[in-house]
Amino acid sequence: MSLMSLGIVRGFVWQIAGTIIGIVFAVAMRLMMGMSPWATEPVWVVAILFGSMGFLIGVGSMTDWFKWMVGIDTPMRHGPPKGKPAWTRYFGVDYNHKVIGIQYTITAIFMLAVGGAFAIIFRTELARSGLQFLNPGQYNTFIGMHGWAAIFAIFIGIGGMANYLVPLMIGAEDMAFPRLNAFAFWINIPAIVWLLASLYHGWDAGWTLYPLLSTRGEPGFQFVFLSVFLLGFSSILGSLNLIATMLMMRPKGMSLFRMPIFCWGVMGASIIQLTATQFIAQSFLMLSFERTLGMPFFNPDGGGSPLLFQHLFWFYSHPAVYVWVLPGLGVISEILPVFARKPLFGYRWIALSSIAIALVGFLVWGHHMFTSGYANSLRAPFMLATLLVAVPTGVKFFSWLGTLWGGKLTFPTPMLFALGAISVFLLGGLSGPPLALVGSDLFLHDSYFVIGHFHATIFGGFVFPFLAALYFWYPKVTGRMYNETLGKLHFWIMTPAFWMMSVGQMSVGVMGMRRRIADYDPMLGGMTSSGLSAVEIGQTVVTISAFLIAFSILLMIYNLLNSAEVGALAGNNPWRSRSPEWQIPSPAPEHSYATPIRVVGEPYDYGLPGSTYVTMATAGDD
Amino acid sequence: MSSATTTAEAYRTQLRMNRMGLWLFFVSEVFLFGGLLATRFYLWGNTRPELDQSIGLIVTSVLLLSSLSMNLSEKGLEHNNRRLFLGGLVFTFVFGLVFLVGVMVFEWGLFPAFYEGHLTPGENVYGAVVFAMTGMHALHVITGLAFIAIVWNLGRKGSYSPERHWGVESCAIYWHFVDVVWIFFYPALYLIGHVAH
Amino acid sequence: MRQSSTDKRHFITVSVLVLIGTAVMFWLLDSALPMPIQASIQAQTVDQVFQWTLIAIAFLFSLVVVFMLYTVIVFRRRRGDTGEGEHFEGNTALEIIWTVVPLLLVVLFGYIGVTTLTDITKAQENEVVVQVEGFQWSWLFTYPTDSGEFTSTELVLPVDQPARMEMSSRDVNHSFWIVEMRVKQDVLPGQTTVLRFTPTIEGDYKLRCAELCGLSHWNMLASVRIVSPEEYDAWLAQQSSQAAAITTASN
Ligand SMILES: [Cu+2]
Ligand SMILES: [Cu+2]
Repeated sequence: MSLMSLGIVRGFVWQIAGTIIGIVFAVAMRLMMGMSPWATEPVWVVAILFGSMGFLIGVGSMTDWFKWMVGIDTPMRHGPPKGKPAWTRYFGVDYNHKVIGIQYTITAIFMLAVGGAFAIIFRTELARSGLQFLNPGQYNTFIGMHGWAAIFAIFIGIGGMANYLVPLMIGAEDMAFPRLNAFAFWINIPAIVWLLASLYHGWDAGWTLYPLLSTRGEPGFQFVFLSVFLLGFSSILGSLNLIATMLMMRPKGMSLFRMPIFCWGVMGASIIQLTATQFIAQSFLMLSFERTLGMPFFNPDGGGSPLLFQHLFWFYSHPAVYVWVLPGLGVISEILPVFARKPLFGYRWIALSSIAIALVGFLVWGHHMFTSGYANSLRAPFMLATLLVAVPTGVKFFSWLGTLWGGKLTFPTPMLFALGAISVFLLGGLSGPPLALVGSDLFLHDSYFVIGHFHATIFGGFVFPFLAALYFWYPKVTGRMYNETLGKLHFWIMTPAFWMMSVGQMSVGVMGMRRRIADYDPMLGGMTSSGLSAVEIGQTVVTISAFLIAFSILLMIYNLLNSAEVGALAGNNPWRSRSPEWQIPSPAPEHSYATPIRVVGEPYDYGLPGSTYVTMATAGDD
Repeated sequence: MSSATTTAEAYRTQLRMNRMGLWLFFVSEVFLFGGLLATRFYLWGNTRPELDQSIGLIVTSVLLLSSLSMNLSEKGLEHNNRRLFLGGLVFTFVFGLVFLVGVMVFEWGLFPAFYEGHLTPGENVYGAVVFAMTGMHALHVITGLAFIAIVWNLGRKGSYSPERHWGVESCAIYWHFVDVVWIFFYPALYLIGHVAH
Repeated sequence: MRQSSTDKRHFITVSVLVLIGTAVMFWLLDSALPMPIQASIQAQTVDQVFQWTLIAIAFLFSLVVVFMLYTVIVFRRRRGDTGEGEHFEGNTALEIIWTVVPLLLVVLFGYIGVTTLTDITKAQENEVVVQVEGFQWSWLFTYPTDSGEFTSTELVLPVDQPARMEMSSRDVNHSFWIVEMRVKQDVLPGQTTVLRFTPTIEGDYKLRCAELCGLSHWNMLASVRIVSPEEYDAWLAQQSSQAAAITTASN
């Protein structure tokens, strides 16, 4: 079997070819227009566009569409590619949502490792004051890379969970548009390549990329703008597909309020992704054009406004946080009833709170801009709108407690991570009000308090639930059980470590530690009797915790890889769940449901004798 | 159940799904163009650049005409009138091309030897926003033209029937959508606010 | 025999634990979050807001965590038990309560937020006005005086007199932050932003840029001296005569 028969290898070859063609094309155009042949940025912009296109064609994600254009019908492909080993399907275009879900998930874990690696590097630097082994330029690039790599991991991780689970949970054969689904996944790969390539030139404006800093300096910025643009494209197409799937492909008897609750989280997230993403795509495109063509959208010298960028950016990036957490909160709601053996408390309230959070999320972007210099009169309305988010979020917490109350709780690893997620998300949520109130935000904005706050929010809303989901659905994906002891060890290392890290960050923030600084004043917070200053103690605690978290994640990766070989066979339904995906064999077969399913009861009626959620129709029925 | 009714049923299901997908795509696009409009009002406020009013009026009318011919073309197919169907597409394509030439040659001044434009993208915020808005719209027009060309070619080969023509339907809706966007852009660029000097 | 989950005794125990938890949590948070000294009137307001939110945080935190830990301990599955949990699907009255009560809290904190906001930002009489210019990677302060203006690389202000910074940037976004004064404000190119504070304690402080502005952002500092009014007047006189001397010399 030749290497070129793997789609992804073909994609990379085409990407390189496309990039070279792009460079040649750009240079030729410049010569034709009477300009000097080489200018790094404009040439690279063209090269990146050509290269990305090259990848998408080379990998084969557009082949069917090209055929449609000339009137050739292409039947749906099923099963592993003919004449090749089964594992090759994961390295090329495959239309099965379960394959795509796994592709997303593996990519997400990879990006999580990349983002984490950057964090570990500069966390080590920050353990002591003074510049140890990074120079400020590298430091500034690394914090931005950490940010975007982690955001890639989150979006792709959500794509993984949603793609694998949503069709299974609603008993659909696949997603509404399988080809579009594969296409949306594969866009991410060139995007990742360009993001990593940006390291070569470097860029130093942090993940928020505010102009005018991001409209000057290194060409590395262009790589990031276009990489994020591609990610946004994937996000829009993926969410469109998910919404269409949930609206159009539910089986008989499954009203919207009888969907598994995870689907509601995905619905809320998808609404935001479908719409708000256009704003970040547009704002990054504007940055790119300001750099290459000098269009002064943000430069006051040409009549532009640096604040306009912040408005466009946060109009997306605040709701984006809800994209990151809503599916995760859905995972928590999905796991708690199974291990409490009790119905989900207030299903409708939880479902609607997801939508409420998504909608209120569109009105609060200005809380990132309290110190930005916009009109003072805007501060109060944005503050009030932001506080309002607490209400639907509170509904979720209280409903989870109601779910646990009176149950018969067991604590395998997924349950531990779900409970850990609640505690961490609580820390994130409750550290929000000091930032929502303008008075204390003028103090805490751009300090490490903010860092602590949003890492807690994202770990509680995404990372912990994502890990819970990995452990929970692992038996369904692989057919085998992970190692429970290692799983628990992972939890008991990671959760206290995360707590120390997050509280430590908030603590040094209050002392006056600013965000995004390569070195800090060792005297912040004063000296202690140990001979170290308060801020250095805090920083050291944070760094040690970061190492512990990284170690525990490696433990998990080992566990999941190893158990796929040696784990005990899991059986169809090891958790005794009512959800439809657990009523079919593990690992889930190529065609998930041999016959259409029908919903005959409520999804979470644990403890109600004689009730079932779904039945599998037998042939001839209907 | 005969297999003929099964496939008809499957086609209808797929059609409903496709329509949903296309409308969701428009919802997303509304935010793209909405963002551009927001940018225009944030940066220009109650002013606008000096643009050639007659060019604006001409390209707008031509684009409206193209929606009409697109509609006739679709009607033609539904009534099995192939000449109207294919001819309508050709007219729509030509109108779209005229619009594009109007914008690119006269508004952008892409061929200065032939016609000097009065704005450049880099000179100030007026040039930047005019080029951003018309550029993003032109990108959609170009996509639409490619779409029309493909549909025309397939239509010529007889790929569509009065009952089954999702390709034509989607092409027509897309074209109308691009048209509607321009109906919002035209006043924002040419009419609202007083001319800045 | 296990108590039913709606047994009153559960709720009494949990309520007591929540109260204890609130106190412990408040103490823990207070010691984990050591505030720098309060060197301005605005700092007092800001810290007050922060303290109020800490109380709310401590309470809500212990409310959720105590309930959760209680269920983990009391409602865990006993060995050999294979039954299901109690079957109840929800309680509309409860849902309404825990929607409305947080809503009231939101209103309360909204009120606190708005009043303290106006408090911090309101204009005062008799303000010392300084033009602040930020640029990569330093600060420059311009003082208007009767005999023209002079510039300084350190910020000197009289104690107990309201100060108004009128700020702009030469290049990219920066942000003006003196930790001990608490409040902060971005400094933008092409636009003047204003920050007000009233220093209350004499001493030396540091102004630090709080908005990432490039390579040496971490080191974009200026020293700040808060001095007595007499000392301030003397400094002003000395600086402006020096400036005048330089102007005459260059003429
Ligand atoms: Cu936000
Ligand atoms: Cu700075």
